[in-house]
Amino acid sequence: MSTTALILLIFFGLVAIWFGWRVFMTSSMVRSALSLLASMAAIGAMFLAMEAEFLGILQIMMMATEMSIMAIFMTMFMMDPGGMGGMDMSHQKIPSIGGGMIVGALVVCIAAFTAWGNMALEVPLPDKQNYDLGMELMKRSMMIFESAGTTILVAMIAAVSTALPYKSDIDGN
Amino acid sequence: MSQTVYWIVTILLFTAGVYLLAVMERWAVYGRLELTYPVKSWLSLLGQESVTPRKLDMVFYETAPLLFITAALLAAMVLPFGQGSPAIDLATGALFINASLAYVMVAVLMAGWAPNGVYAMVGGWRFLGQLIAYSMPIVMAITATVMRAESMALTKIVDSQQGLWNIVYQPVGFLLFYLSSMALAFLPPFDLPVAPGTLAGGVLAEFTGVRLLIFRVGRLVLVMTLSLATTVLFLGGWHGPFLPDFVWTFLKTLAVAASFFGISRFAVRIRYDSLLAWSWKYATPAALFNILWVGILLLL
Repeated sequence: MSTTALILLIFFGLVAIWFGWRVFMTSSMVRSALSLLASMAAIGAMFLAMEAEFLGILQIMMMATEMSIMAIFMTMFMMDPGGMGGMDMSHQKIPSIGGGMIVGALVVCIAAFTAWGNMALEVPLPDKQNYDLGMELMKRSMMIFESAGTTILVAMIAAVSTALPYKSDIDGN
Repeated sequence: MSQTVYWIVTILLFTAGVYLLAVMERWAVYGRLELTYPVKSWLSLLGQESVTPRKLDMVFYETAPLLFITAALLAAMVLPFGQGSPAIDLATGALFINASLAYVMVAVLMAGWAPNGVYAMVGGWRFLGQLIAYSMPIVMAITATVMRAESMALTKIVDSQQGLWNIVYQPVGFLLFYLSSMALAFLPPFDLPVAPGTLAGGVLAEFTGVRLLIFRVGRLVLVMTLSLATTVLFLGGWHGPFLPDFVWTFLKTLAVAASFFGISRFAVRIRYDSLLAWSWKYATPAALFNILWVGILLLL
């Protein structure tokens, strides 16, 4: 990896962490959701710095829609969506800090003690990466992705079904 | 043509295109064809006082116009005008168009939320629903063009249309992309986020002066980009007899944009529930059918 790419990688990593922190430092639901979007987009930029073009662009694209949808749901369901009523976003502080520290320590341990193999010195061209990814999705990992896709579809149908009003409610009975 | 000349020609044509679109927009709204109108209008907005609402979200208020125009320009930068490389030559160009256009939605959402006003907020949330509904047909229509080219690189998608343009090969995909592009650029009959007459400007209601100017120009850039994308993906890109490649792209792009504004002039605004129902009930299944159609054609 070139020095420029490494600097960009560190820069976008720091941007991702900073916006991740901002998510919890605001009381406005839309600001919170869009801070998370900025954090995720920075992770997408990290993929691009690592020359994983498809993954980077996919991450940047998917997160824009997902976080915008999250913004409207947070605005709908929170009592103080604009954060102008002085609502505190944080709760259960001690268990949260404890949980965060344990998970953080686990992540560091996994990163430190996993045998990652040799570092890839040559990155395939973006065309080849797309081809390889397609082959992976359509061959070895097909069952996993198809199962995940079907599960998500079932969850979506179930969510829509539960959100529909009872017929008796519509009739006013 | 050297790369530098190609660049200069591309930038000049794109800028000229945006100016001509401003003239067309004036005609679409007021029925008057004035070549000097964009200059007068833009100068007037530059000189206008920038009034800001009370208790606004300043970060979003300042970011929204810039993000809007940047997203539209970024999408334009991967689209090839001629046989040379586009500004950003990506192997995943088709995906990149979607990625950058998704940020148009984020910008409009910000613009709706930031001013702390009712009309703007209603317009912003309306656009969220509208764009999510219409981004599905756009993505799937692009996917079908990628299937035919067997590549996400836009130059290869143009090359794949050398014998037969995609508008003939996959007419359903073209129709879906065309209409969804109008919804993405919130042109009438899909102008619910701004809805003059009912929302008093909606998303743009609380913007004045330079910020409004950036939004107005940004919207023209967006229409130009979407017209160029329609040309590249469905109308054979630069392919055409006698004239140089970039002239063909330019003429086709202007024709698409003129048709957008032509429909806008005479179409009646769609009701919000109908707008969503059309997309989810008809356009999305049609887009899936289009993918199946192209798949069958490719296997035959």
